[in-house]
Amino acid sequence: MAKAINLSLRDALTRDENVLIFGEDVGALGGVFRITDGLQKAFGEERVFDTPLAESTIIGVAVGLALRGFRPVPEIQFDGFIYPAFEQIVSHVAKYRNRSGISLPITIRVPFGGNIGAVEHHSESPEAYFAHTAGLKVVTPSTPGDAYALLQAAIDDPDPVIFFEPKARYYLKEEIDPTARVPLGKARVAHEGSSVSVIAYGPTVSIALQAAKTAAAEQISIEVIDLRSLSPLDMDTVMASVRKTHRAVVVHEAPVFCGFGAEVAARISHDGFDLLEAPVTRVGGLNVPYPPARYEKLYLPDADRILQAADAVLAYG
Amino acid sequence: MADQTFRLPDLGEGLTEAQLVAWRVEEGARVEVNAPLCDVETAKAVVVIPSPWAGTIQKLHARPGESVAVGEALVTIAAAEGAPAEATPGTLVGYGPGAPESGIRRRARMPVATAETSIDVRAAPFVRQLAKDKGVDLAQVAGTGPGGRITRSDVEAAAATPATTAAATVPSNGGERRISVVGIRKAIARQMVRSVSTIPQFTEFAVFDATNLMAAREKRKASGRPMTPLPYFIEALVKAVRAYPMMNSSWDDARDEIVVKEPIHLGIAVNTSQGLLVPVLRDASTLDLDAIAAQSAQLIEGARAGTLPPSQMSGGTITITNVGASGPVETGTPIINPPECCVVAFGAIKPRPMVVDGQVVARSGAWISISVDHRIVDGAMATEFLTALVAELEKISA
Amino acid sequence: MADVVRVVATDDPVRALFSPAGELTAEARSRLGLDAAALRELYRNMVLIRRADQEALNLQRQGELGLWGQYLGQEAIHVGAMTALRTDDWVFPSYREFGMAMVRGVDPADMLTLFRGLSHGPWDPHKYHFAPLAIPVATQVPHAVGFAMGCRLKRSEEVVLSTFGDGATSEGDWHEAMNFAGVFKAPVVFLCQNNYWAISVPLSKQTAGSIADRAHGYGFPGIRIDGNDVLGVFAAVRAAAARARQGDGPYLIEAVTYRMGAHTSSDDPTRYRLDSELQAWNARDPIARYRGWLEQQGIIDDGVVAAIADAAESAAQAMRARLISLPAPPAGEAIFGRVYSNPPASFLQEREEFEASLEGD
Repeated sequence: MAKAINLSLRDALTRDENVLIFGEDVGALGGVFRITDGLQKAFGEERVFDTPLAESTIIGVAVGLALRGFRPVPEIQFDGFIYPAFEQIVSHVAKYRNRSGISLPITIRVPFGGNIGAVEHHSESPEAYFAHTAGLKVVTPSTPGDAYALLQAAIDDPDPVIFFEPKARYYLKEEIDPTARVPLGKARVAHEGSSVSVIAYGPTVSIALQAAKTAAAEQISIEVIDLRSLSPLDMDTVMASVRKTHRAVVVHEAPVFCGFGAEVAARISHDGFDLLEAPVTRVGGLNVPYPPARYEKLYLPDADRILQAADAVLAYG
Repeated sequence: MADQTFRLPDLGEGLTEAQLVAWRVEEGARVEVNAPLCDVETAKAVVVIPSPWAGTIQKLHARPGESVAVGEALVTIAAAEGAPAEATPGTLVGYGPGAPESGIRRRARMPVATAETSIDVRAAPFVRQLAKDKGVDLAQVAGTGPGGRITRSDVEAAAATPATTAAATVPSNGGERRISVVGIRKAIARQMVRSVSTIPQFTEFAVFDATNLMAAREKRKASGRPMTPLPYFIEALVKAVRAYPMMNSSWDDARDEIVVKEPIHLGIAVNTSQGLLVPVLRDASTLDLDAIAAQSAQLIEGARAGTLPPSQMSGGTITITNVGASGPVETGTPIINPPECCVVAFGAIKPRPMVVDGQVVARSGAWISISVDHRIVDGAMATEFLTALVAELEKISA
Repeated sequence: MADVVRVVATDDPVRALFSPAGELTAEARSRLGLDAAALRELYRNMVLIRRADQEALNLQRQGELGLWGQYLGQEAIHVGAMTALRTDDWVFPSYREFGMAMVRGVDPADMLTLFRGLSHGPWDPHKYHFAPLAIPVATQVPHAVGFAMGCRLKRSEEVVLSTFGDGATSEGDWHEAMNFAGVFKAPVVFLCQNNYWAISVPLSKQTAGSIADRAHGYGFPGIRIDGNDVLGVFAAVRAAAARARQGDGPYLIEAVTYRMGAHTSSDDPTRYRLDSELQAWNARDPIARYRGWLEQQGIIDDGVVAAIADAAESAAQAMRARLISLPAPPAGEAIFGRVYSNPPASFLQEREEFEASLEGD
C-alpha cells in the first residue's frame, strides 16, 4: 500500500503542476513511512518540501496556498498529531467555501489506526471527529489498489478531503491497476455472503475478511462491506446487503462509544427497521484512551470478536 | 406619516431585557435618525439607544426604572415621509432568546401513520412485518427461537395451510412415538398452562330446561329459517353478562386491578383440523338473534377454513364452548381463556328425566358449566350468574 | 525554498524612515511623494470609515445588527495601510478590519449583512483580494503566509498583508506562521494593530516582551511605529511591501494605537478601563491630528472639511437604507448552498427534505 500511495502522489504531481506535497520530513527523508520516498528528488523542492514542526500552520498555509490556486496535499505525520490542526481543519478548511464561496481543493493525508506496537499518540482513530464536520469529505482505503485510486479521486475533488491511511496495512501487497477509478462516496462488497453483513473500513476490513473465511468453514456466510468513504456515506450498498442478510455488524478500531459505527448503526436501524432480524451490533475499541502496546490486541477488534458478534446476531433466531 | 413602534432589541447577544434608565426625548418632540432616545441598562452595560427613524415621538412606552423585555414596545414614532421600509421585518429587532421569529418556519406538526405494536410478543421487526404481510397473528404463534422468540420460520410455518399441528412425526423408537409440537398445538399448550397456573378457577354446574328454546327453534324451522341452538345460547349469555358485568372482566396482576370491560366480545371455541381456535364475535350485546346467527356462522366457517384475519381471532372478553354436540358426554370443566374471567360450556340438548309436579317426565334439557376466576368472582356471584343464565334460557319465547 | 534564512539586518528600508521612538521623520514625511489630492484622499477615507463605523453602532442599538465591533480610533492604520498597497495585494484580516474592506471597495451594506444574520461571508475574496473575516484569533495568519508562499512559488509580484491585534500575538498559530514566513521567506507584511486591549486584558497582561522585537527571533526585521499617524503607517507598509515584493521576505510592523470603542457592542469597557485613559487617547485622535497637519500645510480648509463630513453623512444614510432593504436569501440556499463544490447525493437529498419541510413554497 505504501508504494501504491507513493505512485498515486507521483502521478498526481505529474498530471497537475499545482499539486504540492508538504509536511514534516516528507522531503529528503521521504516520510517516516517512506510514503513520499523519491518525490522531492523527482519533482524538486518547490513541489515537495519539508515544513517546520507546526501541524496547525501546515494546514493553515494549505488554506492560503489553495486560495492562491494550488492543490495542496499536506501530510500530518501521525493520527495523534492531527489535534493541533483540528481548529484549522474544522474552523477553516471545512467552512471556507460556506463562508466565501471558494472551494479549497486540499487533501490532508494522515496515517491512522493501531496494531503497530507504538507508544502513545501513534495509534489513534480520529475519523469520527472529521466525518462529523460538514464541509469535509473523509475516506480511507483498505487495499493498495483502493489507496491508489481513492487518493487520485481525493486530490481531484474540488472539496477538501481527509485521507486516512491505515498504517498497519502499509505493507499489504497486491497488484494494482492504476487506471481503475474509485469515486468518493462509494463502498464496495469485499466478500459476498448471505447471513450477516459485516461493515468495516480501513484496517478492520482485512480482519473482517479473515472472520468471513473462518465462518465459511462453519457454514456461516458473512458478507463484508468495505465502506471506503465515511463522508459521503454509501448507504445504498450497505442497505442492499442488509436487505439480503437481515443482520448487521459494524467494525472499527475507534472506541465504540460515539464512534462512526453509531452513525452506520442508526441509519441501518432507521432505513431498514423492518429488514432486521437482530439488532445492529458494533465491534470496536473500548471506551478508554488507547492502551499501552502490550494490551492493544485486547483492545482492538479481531476476527474472534467479529465472529462473536456474528454469532450473537445469528442467535436471535 | 405612519406610526411605527420601535421595540427593544437584544443589545448584547442573548439578553432578555433591559432597564430604562432615562428618556432623552419627550412625547411630541421631533427627532432625526440616530437622535439619542434613551439610556438603558442591560446585564452587560449602560447603552444609549439612537432613533431608528426621523419623525415625531408619539408615545413613550416605559417609565424610568422600569424593566423592558426584549421585543417589547419602547417608543412609537410617527415616521416622516421616506422612512425606509424593512425588506425583512423583524429579522433582528429583538433577536434575543424570546424574540419573534425570522419569518421562515418549519411546517407545523402533521399526523403520522401509527405503527402497530404488540408489546407482549417477542419478534424482530422483520418477523413482525412478515407476519403482517402473511396475515399471521403473532399472539397465536409459538416461538421456537431462543427464549421463545418467534422466528421467521415460525411465521412461515404458521402461514402454511393446515396440517401443521401434530405434524412431523419422528420415526418410532422402541415403542415410543414422538410428535413434534409446533404452531397452533404449541400455542394452545402455552395458553392452557398459563390459564391453570395463574388463574384460581372453580366450576359450577346447572341443568336448564330447553323446552321453550326447542319450541322456538321448531317455529323458526317451520317458517324456513332454521337456527342452531348456539345463537340462543349466545343471546341468553349476553343478557346474563349484562346483569353480571364482573363476568366480563380481567384480573390485572401488575396493577392489582380488575378491568371490567364494557363491550362484550364473545370468543366462540371452534374445533378445527388445525386444533382449537377461538374466533371472536365482537360487540355481541349490540346484535339481535339473526345477526348473532349470521355472524357466528361466518366466524365458525372462517375459522375452519383458516381465512380469518388476526383482528377476528383476538380481543375476546368472555368465551363460550360446546361440550359434545351429541353422544353420552353431558358436561365438563372448561378451562378459562386467559386473561378472561369466565368460560361457559354448553352440553348437548337432549331428552332427560326431570321432576315436574312430583312426576318424572322426559323433557329437553342440557348441562351448562361455567368456570370462573376466583380472584374476581366468588361462589355466590357465580351461582347468581348461572341462575340468571338458566332463567334467560328457560324463558325464551317462540 | 527549504533554505534557512539568516537575517543580516543591514538593509532595513522601513526603519530608515522612522525615529527610534517610531515616529516618521520629517524628512521621510516630506519625501512621501503624495500630492495634495492624495493627501486629502487619506483624510476623506478616514472620515468616511469613521462615520460608517458610528452608523453601524447605531444600527446595532436599533436592533438592525446583532453585533458590531467598532474600529473607532484605528482609522489611520486602516486607511494608511490600504493606500500603501496595490489593489492586487491580498489582505488577510481578523474581524475588525471593515474600514480596510471599505477602502478596498467592498460595499459597506454588504459587509454588514454579516452581523445581520444573513451570511458568514458577504464579499467575494477573489474580486477584492480581501480574505473573509476571521474570528478565531490569529488563525488567519497562517493562511496569509500560505498565500504569500504561493505567490513566491508562482514568481508573481503580489505581497500579502496579514493584519491582527496584540492579543493574536499570544496565539500559537501566530508564532507558527511567523516562523514559516521566515523559513520560506514569504512576501508577507505582518501588521499588528496594537490597540492595547484584548477585550478587557491590557497589553501589560498580554505579553511581557515587545511584539515588534519578536520578528528577529523568526529571522526578519520588525518595527514599532505610531499607529495613529496615517502617513507613518502609509510609509511603513509601503516600504515593507516593496521590500517583500523584491524578494527580501517578511516584515513585522507593530502599529501602536488605541481601541477607542468597546470590544463589541456587547462589551462594557467602563468595567475595566479608566475614563482618564480614554480621554488621553482621545487627545491623540488620528483624524483630528491629521486634519490639523493638513490645515497647517494649507491642503484643506473648513469648506473641504464640511463637504467631506456631508459626504460621509450621505454615505452613512445610503448604507443604512441599502442594508435594511437587502433581502434574506432563501433558507435552503443560505444553509446548504455553499457547503460543497461537489455535493454528495445524500447532501442534496437532505436539502430537498429540508426545503419540503418549510411552510409556503
